[in-house]
Amino acid sequence: MTTLIRKGLIGMALVCTTALPAMAKDISWIYCGDKIDPVHEKAIQEWDAKNPDNKVVVEVVGWEQCQDKATTLAAAGSPAGIAYVGSRTLKEFAQNDMIVPVPMTDAEKASYYPGIVNTVTSGGTQWGVPIAFSTKALYWNKDLFKQAGLDPEKPPTTWAEEIEDAKIIKEKTGIPGYGLPAKTFDNTMHQFLHWVYTNNGEVIDADGNIKLDSPQVLAALKAYKDITPYSEEGPTAYEQNEVRAIFLDGKVAMIQGSVGAAFKLKDTKINWGVSDLPLGPDAKGKGTLLITDSLAVFKGSGVEDKAVEFAKYITSAPVQEAYEGGGAAGLTPLRPSPAVDKMVADAPYWKPFIDGIASGGPEPLFTDYKGFQNVMIEMVQSVVTGKAEPDAALKKAAAALEEYK
Amino acid sequence: MDRSRTTLIFAWMLLAPALLYVLVIVAWPLVETVRLSFTDASLKKVTDYVGWRNYTKIYNATFFEVIVRTFTWTFFSVLLKMIIGTCGAVLLNAAVPGRHLFRILTMPPWIVPMAIGIFMWGWMYNGQFGMISGLLQRFGLVDGPVAFLAYGNTAYWATIFTDVWIGVPMVTIYFLAAIQSIPKDLYEAAWTDGASRWMRFRRITLPLMAPAIITMSMLSLIATFNSFDIIWILTRGGPSGETTTMIIDTYQTAIGSKKYGEGAARAVVICIFLSLFCLAYFRVTRRLAAADNA
Repeated sequence: MTTLIRKGLIGMALVCTTALPAMAKDISWIYCGDKIDPVHEKAIQEWDAKNPDNKVVVEVVGWEQCQDKATTLAAAGSPAGIAYVGSRTLKEFAQNDMIVPVPMTDAEKASYYPGIVNTVTSGGTQWGVPIAFSTKALYWNKDLFKQAGLDPEKPPTTWAEEIEDAKIIKEKTGIPGYGLPAKTFDNTMHQFLHWVYTNNGEVIDADGNIKLDSPQVLAALKAYKDITPYSEEGPTAYEQNEVRAIFLDGKVAMIQGSVGAAFKLKDTKINWGVSDLPLGPDAKGKGTLLITDSLAVFKGSGVEDKAVEFAKYITSAPVQEAYEGGGAAGLTPLRPSPAVDKMVADAPYWKPFIDGIASGGPEPLFTDYKGFQNVMIEMVQSVVTGKAEPDAALKKAAAALEEYK
Repeated sequence: MDRSRTTLIFAWMLLAPALLYVLVIVAWPLVETVRLSFTDASLKKVTDYVGWRNYTKIYNATFFEVIVRTFTWTFFSVLLKMIIGTCGAVLLNAAVPGRHLFRILTMPPWIVPMAIGIFMWGWMYNGQFGMISGLLQRFGLVDGPVAFLAYGNTAYWATIFTDVWIGVPMVTIYFLAAIQSIPKDLYEAAWTDGASRWMRFRRITLPLMAPAIITMSMLSLIATFNSFDIIWILTRGGPSGETTTMIIDTYQTAIGSKKYGEGAARAVVICIFLSLFCLAYFRVTRRLAAADNA
């Protein structure tokens, strides 16, 4: 009898010890990249210590598959708790009831640079928490400017000057004046949107009307056509990072790039400068595309509330500032702070990346962002390769976008 | 229970694992794909049946262009693999010193992980840093950098060439085995009769290799038609969709745009073509077997 009771107690103890962890619910996080950033790793450890019932389990997925993995898991009914996604996908996820809103207080909204919150807002609601941010500026190779007889300290400030400088450099040095990315790749669309936003253009308005077919966007597309002959040979073979590699090799005179290029340039002998993106004829001020990645909280994970809490914690100012880490990761800071002011004062090349934010535009939110992206890439490529004239390509793209808005 | 009934049950029991495997791995996904192709499945949680809408939607000029491109891409790739594979097999069969070494040297494209091989070609095709463009410039054949993946025509042939590079070793080894199975006395008799090298190749080697060539062509056709990695890694179907084949188009629709229903309809069309190829393959192999028996 005693043996029976003893066995029973041992059995109950075993059942309890296995059941207890089952009651705890982990927050799974699909994390894009090659490895977890040490800052995030440390923050997760602190979170886990304070939330033993809702520990964070990170799954690192390469950038190429990351978004598809998060989406496929959610579509298959086994969503991750949170996932690192491009903010442009949030509208699509929200409309398909896959994610929960992550409303921000007025104080939270005000803590970000202007325009950032718009990148995660659809229908007046925030659907994700920004975690990574990128703006662009114009890098120029001063030696190539000098070699072409141009003032090396005077970068172009308008599209007309930019095209003219590119032409002179190409003709005088034989080296392409501008690095134009036009590969079948998402940043082909992003780079074009920088031109759109530096000419007061837009793709879709707040009411969801397609505004692509406008004189401002047409001017951007015409500028693309005009600068193509003075760009690297075969722009449709290169994406943004490949163009940057050519610039780092001193084989192209100007590129649009993020602050990450500045960190890479420090390791080269190139005599470079960085300035605001040149402006189009209809520009009302500086401009850039505001690209953010966000943490989306998926519906159906069973830990939605805790996941929202974690998303806000991991993107809170102290953690985020450490993550942005002085810019080495190539990220523009999400929030103004004394630390950012000091960073700009210490390293003035930061200035154009910060200055463009106030008048920058968000990535357009579409219900089928891949469809939107493909239309934009096709439009750019058809102009760059000379298959279509800018106005015809623009009209075709504007009509095609109606399906995806 | 009589004996024949017991035998029948035993036979079915033996077949059961294989049947189960085919049902779960092949039949069920296939049926599910066909079912999906009649729905508007996407990221939304409710899926409705839409009849033939997905099929009527893909019935357009662009899709026909993609089909034609897929067939021409497959045709040229298979043709080149067969020609180079045949030549390679004949050369590797020649009684030259070090032929074992040459046989080993044909293997790397097959041994190297496919993705690595494709990335390597991607770099070689690069206009700024690529070896091919560099060599062409050094020999004065071109004025400046040539970005092979930048233009529809060159990107199309670059992807075919990469597919051929990856596929040739298998074809060569298969053909080499076929050549080695040809009785030597046939060549000796022909040589005694004064047949030239070309004559011996044309009258002995080629006819006796024919079954191997036909079989390998059919198998290669099926594999090449569905070739995804090469085009996706090198061009993603670009520029301007000029290297988009049916499998790329299906992936972009189903996984890229999350239009699972429409993607499934495209997959069904691929399936129909592949079924026809398989049917042709089985008919050909049956005829070859019958000819052998005769």
